[in-house]
Amino acid sequence: MRNSRYIGYALGAALAAVFPLVSGAYTQQVAVTTLIYMTLALSWDMLLRSGQLSFGTAGFFGLGSYAAVLLFLNVGVNPITSILLGGVFAGVVALLVGLAVLRLRGMYFAITTLALASIFTVVVRNIPSLTGGPEGMMLPTCVFNGNTAQVYWLVLAVAILAIGMSEVFQHTRIRLALTSIRNDERVAKSSGIHVFWYLVFVFAVTSVLQGIAGGAYAHVYGFVSPEGSFNANFLLLPLAMALLGGVHSTWGPVVGALVLGVLGEYLKLQIPYGHLLVYGGIIVLVTLFLPQGFVGALRARVRQFQSGRGS
Amino acid sequence: MTLLRKLQQRRYVTALVSMIVLVLLAVWKPYALIEGIQRGGVYSLIALPMALILGIVGIINLAHGEFMMLGAYFAYWLGVYTGLDPLVAIIPALAVFALIGAATYLLTIRRALKAPELNQLLLTFGLAMMAAQFANLMWTSRPLKPHLSYVYSSISLGSLRFGTYAFVYTGAALVLLAGLLLFLRRTRLGKAALAVGQNPRGAKLVGIDVNRTYMLIFSISIALVGAIGALFLTRHSVFPAVGSPFTMKSFCLIAMAGIGNLPGVVWGGFALGIAEAFVLSFRGYGGWADVVFFAVLVAVIMTRSYRRRVV
Repeated sequence: MRNSRYIGYALGAALAAVFPLVSGAYTQQVAVTTLIYMTLALSWDMLLRSGQLSFGTAGFFGLGSYAAVLLFLNVGVNPITSILLGGVFAGVVALLVGLAVLRLRGMYFAITTLALASIFTVVVRNIPSLTGGPEGMMLPTCVFNGNTAQVYWLVLAVAILAIGMSEVFQHTRIRLALTSIRNDERVAKSSGIHVFWYLVFVFAVTSVLQGIAGGAYAHVYGFVSPEGSFNANFLLLPLAMALLGGVHSTWGPVVGALVLGVLGEYLKLQIPYGHLLVYGGIIVLVTLFLPQGFVGALRARVRQFQSGRGS
Repeated sequence: MTLLRKLQQRRYVTALVSMIVLVLLAVWKPYALIEGIQRGGVYSLIALPMALILGIVGIINLAHGEFMMLGAYFAYWLGVYTGLDPLVAIIPALAVFALIGAATYLLTIRRALKAPELNQLLLTFGLAMMAAQFANLMWTSRPLKPHLSYVYSSISLGSLRFGTYAFVYTGAALVLLAGLLLFLRRTRLGKAALAVGQNPRGAKLVGIDVNRTYMLIFSISIALVGAIGALFLTRHSVFPAVGSPFTMKSFCLIAMAGIGNLPGVVWGGFALGIAEAFVLSFRGYGGWADVVFFAVLVAVIMTRSYRRRVV
């Protein structure tokens, strides 16, 4: 049973890895954005599993972007290392912020994290000597000189890292701790789980993933700006993807990202200025009518079928 | 008795300190004080309807600023097609947004009342995104503003010369506060709403139609914020993203005052408006004014959570 899971992982990874050999540059470009959003969707869901709704993905994404670009331009770190260090920077900031913010729950936590992106934007905009101010910064070249196949492998590695982290969270005792915190914090605490430190840990880890995604995005497009890097789309799209696919699982956000990544590209061609309306609509409809998402609904159906056959 | 006296004394001290601060500010930076009172008016005016929903229906409406944005667009296009002044458009806006509010409640909010708080947050976040993207699709992101000559009126007071029109917002905030307090304490529906806000089950037991009260309060609040959008348009331009900062600032004021404390929202609005204008008055540092709200939000929420020692 356990082995078949690993075989599945290997097959999936191999399929994803040979994808650029059989597809054109445009398809690969779509895949690159999809994989970046998939990483964000997964990292957002990983924190949600502990019952904390964060609106901070765009904030840490942007921090990672800026940190990676600044390290690359000013310190001369090579792109890949700068992306990883960008993630570490976002994680350290998240750790410090989390020590304070994770004392909050529910709407107070959600809105404070929503404010984070705005605060980061203001800070970045107001230190022009370091960050280029409102205009942002251009990189001299994109990573791998913009070779889409290599860029694809880079973001695929990032997405696989996210999937791997998420699976580790799902198949170790971390899952039990987070689920128990989500269900009832008092019970979790009385069964010996250090609630606060678990939350800080998860908040920091997910922010590292968001920062890495941001760094990769900045290097792929060779550009950072306050409005672009902290854009609300990096919050809206991952949320819609994770919700549509189904929260509290690894494969929900992955499936959601694949579906919406492809569908979103089609919509973008059909309604260039309003396709984001659909994402808002998806969030509303899924929260109202399909709170478990596609994968959750499918699982429930399968379980129903199995129990029906068993009896 | 001694506790009561202490409380009175503390209030007295706060009032005295704020008076001294205001007098000093009036001498040092009179323009910042005037600007601050005008700004504070806008903030408290917009925050009041949100405080009403949060205090009574118990839902944080993340689409609050977006409804104001739609109200401003409504007034703008009404003005373009019929030549109606935005100030007159307040009356049709009230009617139209009462209907929109009722429809929003019946179609979405009502279904989420029993859902966990996170779902309510996601739902209204989705609504906010839909509203902003809808505006973007319909009217592009170009800022729109009607030409009104009366907003440029100004007076001279000694050596000071300043615009007077923006005091309309200060006045409107105070009138709205008085109106809401009268409504909640004197009318039948208002008293019922207060009862529902305190304890929905208890209210139901004594024969109050809870669902109907929720719907009325929600549509009153949306009607008010739509009308405020029309008033907002007289002096500011409207674009799809104009509303979202006000959602956060409104929540900031409510968190500061404590849920259910309407006068506190208004005083907090003035305090933060003046603080922002003070930061803005320093040449070269004006860009940091946006952080004031968030810094206060984080500081206040933190102190509260530490004082309560939650978790």
